[in-house]
Amino acid sequence: MSELLQVRNLTKHFGGLAAVQDVSFDVNKGEIVGLIGPNGAGKTTTFSLLTGFLTPTRGTITFAGRRIDNLKPHVICRLGMTRTFQIVQPFPEMTALENVMMGALVHHRNIDEAQRRGRNTLARVGLAHKADTPGRELTLVEQKRLEIGKALATEPQLLLLDEVAAGLREAEVDVILDLVRQLNTEGITLLIVEHLMKVIMNLSQRIVVLDFGQKIAEGSPAEVSANPLVLEAYLGKEED
Amino acid sequence: MKLRWNVVAPLALLVVLAGLPLFATEYMLHIGVLVLLAAYLATGWNILGGYAGQHSLGHSLFLGIGAYTSTYLFAQIGLTPWIGMWVGALFAAIVGWFVGYLCFRYGLRGPYFALVTIALAEAMVYLVTNLNALGGAEGLDVRWVGHNPALMQFEGKTAYYYIILIMTALLLFGVQRYSRRRFGYQMIAVRENEDAAEALGVDTLAVRIRALVISAVVTALGGVFFAQYYTYINPRNVFGEGPSVQMLLFAIVGGLGTVWGPAIGAILLVPIAEFARSSLGNTFSGAHLLLYGVVLVLVMLFMPNGIVGLVQTLERRRRGGRA
Ligand SMILES: Nc1ncnc2c1ncn2[C@@H]1O[C@H](COP(=O)(O)OP(=O)(O)O)[C@@H](O)[C@H]1O
Ligand SMILES: [Mg+2]
Repeated sequence: MSELLQVRNLTKHFGGLAAVQDVSFDVNKGEIVGLIGPNGAGKTTTFSLLTGFLTPTRGTITFAGRRIDNLKPHVICRLGMTRTFQIVQPFPEMTALENVMMGALVHHRNIDEAQRRGRNTLARVGLAHKADTPGRELTLVEQKRLEIGKALATEPQLLLLDEVAAGLREAEVDVILDLVRQLNTEGITLLIVEHLMKVIMNLSQRIVVLDFGQKIAEGSPAEVSANPLVLEAYLGKEED
Repeated sequence: MKLRWNVVAPLALLVVLAGLPLFATEYMLHIGVLVLLAAYLATGWNILGGYAGQHSLGHSLFLGIGAYTSTYLFAQIGLTPWIGMWVGALFAAIVGWFVGYLCFRYGLRGPYFALVTIALAEAMVYLVTNLNALGGAEGLDVRWVGHNPALMQFEGKTAYYYIILIMTALLLFGVQRYSRRRFGYQMIAVRENEDAAEALGVDTLAVRIRALVISAVVTALGGVFFAQYYTYINPRNVFGEGPSVQMLLFAIVGGLGTVWGPAIGAILLVPIAEFARSSLGNTFSGAHLLLYGVVLVLVMLFMPNGIVGLVQTLERRRRGGRA
């Protein structure tokens, strides 16, 4: 069995609002899966459910053969799944290196070892020269990279990236694209939310489309972009 | 080997402080004990307040638990405070664990946690005041049995001075060491960004509780010393707001979440406050409290990161504004 993540009938209500409604999909080992949908479709909420930041109203999540829908984020991280945040969440008073080191500390208690691994990870996301800069003094672009670096340092099997390319310039987007592909060839499975169609279409082997909290389509990039429901969902709304 | 000032300076200071009783008067030693006790308590408060970012405003809760436990056990069954202190520490750990679990598990953090701690400490003042078994409002005496090191009672101040010096040195050494280890980083991560910490595998609830328990134990041991030194405790002077406020005051003034900040705050403020108390005490009682208030306001306005923070900023500027 190659399923790493199994999502079944996942549902989250906020008061009367069904932010996520009966969503089911799988992510297989080694895949890059895209999760798309207009603003407010429930993508970030789905990420928060998968990683334990929110408890599902209904539905089940199975990761590496284990039910995780009642576990806390730190446990899920230790099991091998973590996320980045759409709204970047650096540790502002810690240096960039210390930020990334926090990720490495999950599996490496020794500070020197965590620091060594942190340095490597920092170099991978192009922040080696910022190692001693406090998180709060990094530019937004750098903070976005740091976001990936922190998550990466936890050595995840499955990495969830929430709009890491949003707000970046063309050249910077390409750097991220290369990085994500590289990570994938190293064996990391990825679930990515991205607004930029170029990124999603380029990277994903499979795409899941959400609209108003429901899954409206799933398939290859070609299938999804030809799907009338998807076109309607996107044309019917303003893209930001 | 290159001399590292952060190792050399503390050691030099320790040597100087250890030599102080050779030439100091009893009064100077008394001030020394007050400074060290304040430094010790503020450093203990800082583990939870500075590193883990949960500002307890009622830390006297643990001071009182330590003081009352050892004093009560000595009075009732003659148990030496050398053992009583660990019983007090155990009680403080248990209470700390419950308070931490109930608060942090159910989302009472930051200002809510601060309010809970005040309420608990105040509740203890009233509870103990109404418990005759614990001496009620009158408090408890540590009965003087004559110079007896085995019962933590000493003639003169020198021995007390050395005890609190060793306690403070050990505590600072521990904080210095563990703040640079995994747990230290985890506390800072929890303080800085809880969600980010969780996403990176940090059990934020456990880290907060652990910080509180450690801080509570440290504070309770300080409470035992307090009782032995003053040989008298009452509900207000150990469970009251006075000690609570001083712990956080010295930490804030010196620098939250730094190894040396709280001690530096105590070293600077306690002698000034004692001077104000002794010189103005008759004409203007509470002068030292007013002084504390003024200093706190000034520090918060002009150096929000305390003395250590200010020094770090200046240091960075001197090195050419590099980040
Ligand atoms: N914590 C919350 N409380 C109430 N409503 C929320 C909360 N988080 C998200 N929502 C709502 O749920 C819907 C889905 O949001 P989100 O998952 O952020 O969408 P996306 O990431 O696809 O843009 C939106 O209508 C949003 O306003
Ligand atoms: Mg979103």
